[in-house]
Amino acid sequence: MIELINVSKFYKPNTNALKDVNLNIGAGEFVSIVGQSGTGKTTVIRLIIAEEKPTAGQIIIGGWDITKIHDREIPFLRRQIGVVFQDFKLLPKKTVFENIAFALQTCGVPTVRIRHIVPQVIKIVGLEGKEDRYPFQLSGGEQQRVVIARSLVHKPKLLVADEPTGNLDSINSLEIIDLLKKINELGTTVVLVTHDRDVVNSLKRRVITIDQGQIIGDQSKGRYIL
Amino acid sequence: MFFSELNQIVKFALQSFFRNIWLSVVTITIVVMALFSISSLSVFNLLTQHVLTVVENKTDVFIDLTKDATATQAQTLVDELQKLPAIKEAQFITPEQTLVNFRERHKDNQVIIQSLNALSENPFRGSIRLNVHNIEDFPIILEELSKKEYADYLQIEDSEFADAKLLISGISDYSKKIQQTGLVISLIFLLIAILVVFNTIQVGIYTHREEIGIMKLVGASNHFVRSPFLIEGAMYSFIGVFILALLIYPLMSVVQPYVDTFFKEYTINLTSLVNQNFIKFFGGQLLVAIVITMISSYLAVRRYIKV
Repeated sequence: MIELINVSKFYKPNTNALKDVNLNIGAGEFVSIVGQSGTGKTTVIRLIIAEEKPTAGQIIIGGWDITKIHDREIPFLRRQIGVVFQDFKLLPKKTVFENIAFALQTCGVPTVRIRHIVPQVIKIVGLEGKEDRYPFQLSGGEQQRVVIARSLVHKPKLLVADEPTGNLDSINSLEIIDLLKKINELGTTVVLVTHDRDVVNSLKRRVITIDQGQIIGDQSKGRYIL
Repeated sequence: MFFSELNQIVKFALQSFFRNIWLSVVTITIVVMALFSISSLSVFNLLTQHVLTVVENKTDVFIDLTKDATATQAQTLVDELQKLPAIKEAQFITPEQTLVNFRERHKDNQVIIQSLNALSENPFRGSIRLNVHNIEDFPIILEELSKKEYADYLQIEDSEFADAKLLISGISDYSKKIQQTGLVISLIFLLIAILVVFNTIQVGIYTHREEIGIMKLVGASNHFVRSPFLIEGAMYSFIGVFILALLIYPLMSVVQPYVDTFFKEYTINLTSLVNQNFIKFFGGQLLVAIVITMISSYLAVRRYIKV
């Protein structure tokens, strides 16, 4: 599903965010990428969604070499990857329904189909009855559910979550992780980037540990070791 | 797919316009103010142009004939002159008519009238009144009149040419200077208007920068992100020009008496002046407004679209 081959990322003037990283994540896996702040975890996500390009190496997503992806192709890549952000990134002037529908509208999906798909994902994330609310009228956990719902509308094979529990309390965090597990059980590959020790330890899934831009651990049923 | 996408883009533009209504109101106000300053100057330019045309049309040049020139010779010359495309009207004024006109002009000055009565014969000679389409053409006519065939035919005194030339070039220079000054001031106003509208749109889109980033991250293409802002820019322009039309007509009615007082017999009805140039006036402003708002939107969005 995801293959990073000798990937390095260098930021001027002298920051090596990733150094010669090799990584292979199979279809249907639930992988946690852990590490302390500033170790390169988010850089991996940015490279996967083509928000940035690697300085060296090759990145292959679902057989598609995105290393030299053209700007025009980026929207098509992003429509195939569900992305969940720590700061939610919801459109403040749009309602819950509109925020979720937006990911479909950008691809020109007809309104009739949007009206069919959006209620389905709203049901999956448990936000029935809150379709007409604006983001500021929701709790942090609810906002993150909207983000997850938005990331699911294209039925992605891959879901990438960058610190999805970073702004949530422990109860909401567990609910979001349960939701991600549920999505994984439905066949979607989930890559979770976090530095939340409790979350990682409770999952008992594959854990990749990054430190100073290098992979220092890769355990199939791992724990947070730093 | 195309119509579905177009439908979504228009929907987003309308949503953004109404959900950020205060931002829209402020932007439209700035557009209206910018257009208003351009309009005021345009009306002034049209008015100046009108006055100059009237002055030019009323500028007749009289060419005196020699004492020996007969009425038949003068009429022949008039017929020849009327064949010239530059001549609007040529008229032979007889010595008798000149005397009557002179008496009429100086009827209140008894000294002149008495002196005239003391003379045993009419001291005036015949003349030809020339009215041209364009004062720029007058040198060509003077050149035509200087031809030897006319010199043999009729003796026209050189000083008349010189005076006429001076008068014509004076008016011509004055007219050119006014038009050039008007153009320069108009361009400065236009530049100021462009900069103000450009900045307002930039600030407006700056408030959308996070939204643009999110749109890109969930898979929106550049044109899908950009298009609603361009449509919104065009909406500001249409509404701006509409409000301008609503404001400018009542304002012209208010200003009309002052224009009448200032320009006296040269005055013109401002409303009919604008109506005569309706397409040029409002169409031109709409075009300028659309170009400015859409280019501003395009450049402002481009800054935040690289995600």
